[in-house]
Amino acid sequence: MSTPELLLKQINALIGYLVERSLAHDQNYVFQRQLSATSVEVTFPQADRFSIALKNRAYPEVYDVLAAERAYVAKLPDGALIQMQYLFDRGELERHRLAFFPSPHLEEFQNNPDVYLEDDIYADVVARNIVPFPIRFDFDCRHFVWKELEHPKSHLSLGQYQNCRIPVSAPISPACFIDFILRNFYSTAFNQYTDSLPKSPWCFNDSILLLEQSVLHIKIPTI
Amino acid sequence: MSSRISISRGTNEKPVSSEALTEFFSQYQGCSGQFMTGYPIIGTAEGRHPIDALLVSPEKGIVVFDLVEGPDPGDFGSRQDDSANKLEARLKTYRELMKRRNLLITIHTVSFAPGIANIRRFPDDYTLTNEATLADILDALDWENKDEHVYRTALSAIQSISTIRRSRSKRSVLKANSRGDKLKRLEDSIATLDNRQSKAVIETVKGVQRIRGLAGSGKTIVLALKAAYLHIQHPDWRIAITFNTRSLKGQFRNLINNFSVEQAGEEPDWTQVRIVNAWGAPGGSDRSGIYYEFCRAHDLQYFDLRSARMAFAQGREFAGACDNALSQMQKQKSLYDAILVDEAQDFPPVFLRLCYEMLNDEKRLVFAYDELQNLSGESLPAPEEIFGRMADGTPRVHFEAPHGTDARQDIILEKCYRNSRPVLTTAHALGFGIYRKPVKKGNGLVQMFEHAHLWKEIGYELVEGELKDGQSVVLRRTEDTSPLFLEDHSPIDDLIQFHQFENEQEQADWLVEQIERNLEEDELLHDDIVVINPDPLTTRSQVGKIRRRLLDMGINSHLAGVDTDPDIFFRSGFSSVTFTGIYRAKGNEAGMVYILNAHDCDSAGRNLARIRNRLFTAITRSKAWVRVLGIGEGMKHLTKEFQTLKQKGFELRFRYPTQAERNQLMLIHRDMTSADRKRVESGKQNLARLFEDLESGRVYMEDLDPDLLDKLRQLLLQQG
Repeated sequence: MSTPELLLKQINALIGYLVERSLAHDQNYVFQRQLSATSVEVTFPQADRFSIALKNRAYPEVYDVLAAERAYVAKLPDGALIQMQYLFDRGELERHRLAFFPSPHLEEFQNNPDVYLEDDIYADVVARNIVPFPIRFDFDCRHFVWKELEHPKSHLSLGQYQNCRIPVSAPISPACFIDFILRNFYSTAFNQYTDSLPKSPWCFNDSILLLEQSVLHIKIPTI
Repeated sequence: MSSRISISRGTNEKPVSSEALTEFFSQYQGCSGQFMTGYPIIGTAEGRHPIDALLVSPEKGIVVFDLVEGPDPGDFGSRQDDSANKLEARLKTYRELMKRRNLLITIHTVSFAPGIANIRRFPDDYTLTNEATLADILDALDWENKDEHVYRTALSAIQSISTIRRSRSKRSVLKANSRGDKLKRLEDSIATLDNRQSKAVIETVKGVQRIRGLAGSGKTIVLALKAAYLHIQHPDWRIAITFNTRSLKGQFRNLINNFSVEQAGEEPDWTQVRIVNAWGAPGGSDRSGIYYEFCRAHDLQYFDLRSARMAFAQGREFAGACDNALSQMQKQKSLYDAILVDEAQDFPPVFLRLCYEMLNDEKRLVFAYDELQNLSGESLPAPEEIFGRMADGTPRVHFEAPHGTDARQDIILEKCYRNSRPVLTTAHALGFGIYRKPVKKGNGLVQMFEHAHLWKEIGYELVEGELKDGQSVVLRRTEDTSPLFLEDHSPIDDLIQFHQFENEQEQADWLVEQIERNLEEDELLHDDIVVINPDPLTTRSQVGKIRRRLLDMGINSHLAGVDTDPDIFFRSGFSSVTFTGIYRAKGNEAGMVYILNAHDCDSAGRNLARIRNRLFTAITRSKAWVRVLGIGEGMKHLTKEFQTLKQKGFELRFRYPTQAERNQLMLIHRDMTSADRKRVESGKQNLARLFEDLESGRVYMEDLDPDLLDKLRQLLLQQG
């Protein structure tokens, strides 16, 4: 069972880990705030200022604004931004928004680790046309938001496709999210950054519905 | 006899008459003072108003020149009134130049028309003259209440080309004499440019111009203002300013913008004056670069970092790309009227050549560099070599030997406004290895200027001896080149400290505690602190743990990376301590500089010049205090070098190496690729094994190739 306090602690441990491994070049302190009598949010500075304003804008533009305003929990060596926000209502998780925004200007870390590990001065000289896209894990269990299959409570969105909501079996913990990012985008032959990543001692209950399990979906690890 | 007037040659739209007038003043004996062309520019409600030329003299006051290029003087009377009124309006803003409502210095006006032989044809209520009558007219001019102090004030008011300097977040200082307070006072003292810098901004030549100067001598500011000045005077020119360190981009933009607004009363046209990367990539003007534009304009294959890595040797990616582009170029196209290059020491020389090829026939290329800040170990060759030769073998670019202060093509900024004398001298002593104990016998020196006179040019004075090959010398910085106010705020023992630790843990403990104290007690801001790790390969592993500890203590920090824009941290008012590797340390300056793992800069030989240059660059990031930290034996050696320097009162005492010794130094400390290094290592091992085998009788001399043995014998004999 998780609480805002436990989540905050876990996120802090993860940021600490990213900083220690020099994977976070810059980071913000995550904090907890009471939104109303019943709801509590775990979030980061500048979190909600941009989400609406940036709708329908080109991705490079979105990225530049987020980077310039430092609207992230952590910034990785290749410029990718990580955001994490959780919202509890009456002690239950009501929403989360976990996002990964890769830099549209730089080469991906995984394919070019040397450029970053050796701090090459010309690391920004990139000609290839990269097609970076944001990755988001969203959760929302408010009754007027979710709709079986069409809008699963927990889902993965790739890029800025309006109706891309790949069902996910449960809400995702911060540790699970960071593990996913590092394992898939930052692991190289020489560095398995996930080896000593702080693990989450708990996970959220399943939220996926029967129909959603009948299509391709993502299963959250339970062990 | 040469004239008593010192001359600054700027640029304006009237080259012929400017040249004639300059020539006149280089001979004129009638008064002393300062003569300038193409300056000042006065911003007015109607836009910029450039003054063609101006003389400020303690005997005559101010003479404003209206220049006439051809045979038609036009309405010169009203032009004279206009210029005089505008200049007067500007000078009247200086209280020291006023008595009640009257300006204390006289402003005369003269129209100078070298192209008009018979000036008597024109009305004479305003002065119109040519070369023949100018001397008589000047002789007759007078300043009734001449006053040396008013003259000086007026001169500095006219010369003070800008009051700008990057002002950071406002400090609130509560404790007198806290570090924060000291830094505030330091920042206020270096608010304006000095004469030499101002002159360097304005001096414009046709052809290549080089600006040399130490770290902190204001090269970047001079270069930025120069770009802005050229843009104001020639709005139709295409001007590029380029650099190696991305983090300078914001700074350039601010400087150019502020100067334009201040001087011309309007914002620069960013399509004409462009701040571009050196290399560059496709993807819009923000990502564009000189090399990329060159390839595009000449329709050549473009290499990005990755493809250059595959095509050229490691460490020569950019050089390879530029070389390739130049050799493939069919027909030269000029893309710019002027290109200004900052931090030129970090570029391969062929890049400067590429810039040269992109310019129109006037070849206005300005490059600023600092020999010692070169992080790659390769130094820039002489201009004669960089730019190649013409068909008949004469160099395309040749710098005339400077005579006196009139060096225009090759400007040296000798004054250092960032580092205090003890800090700068330490950086030099360690960079050159002046007090380094050699590992084997011989000299401890790591590198030395090819030309001994360079020491004087960078602001050292000769205390004893002679600056000649093989001679003993004692050098020290003067008060003039290292202003006293930079050091007298703190005792020397606080300005610079060396700390040797047993292990990394101890080093980290100490650093973390000091940073906490800086922030809590010393009233320093987060951005007053920079932590530098000199070895680029270990930066990541070294700083992680320390940053984590700070994070857990509630002190945020960031690691400068490829896309770190320092402006973001200032703009957002966000508090974060900067950690950086050596490459990204460039362009950063801070009150308190911590150098981690300095022992890395005491290796036993390989690449030592490059490694010592890193230490030099790291130390010279400091505006006030430096802490050099390290571990073990290596750190002990460095500390000892520093202590020797301190004992000698921050004077550099050494024997100037001879040509042969300098060649030897270059050989020992040359840069080697990893393949070179492997070869040397395996050669050493093989030799050792062979020697052992011979000694122990496992191999006999007779087993070896007699011819080869003979050759080896010869070689050893030759070496003595």
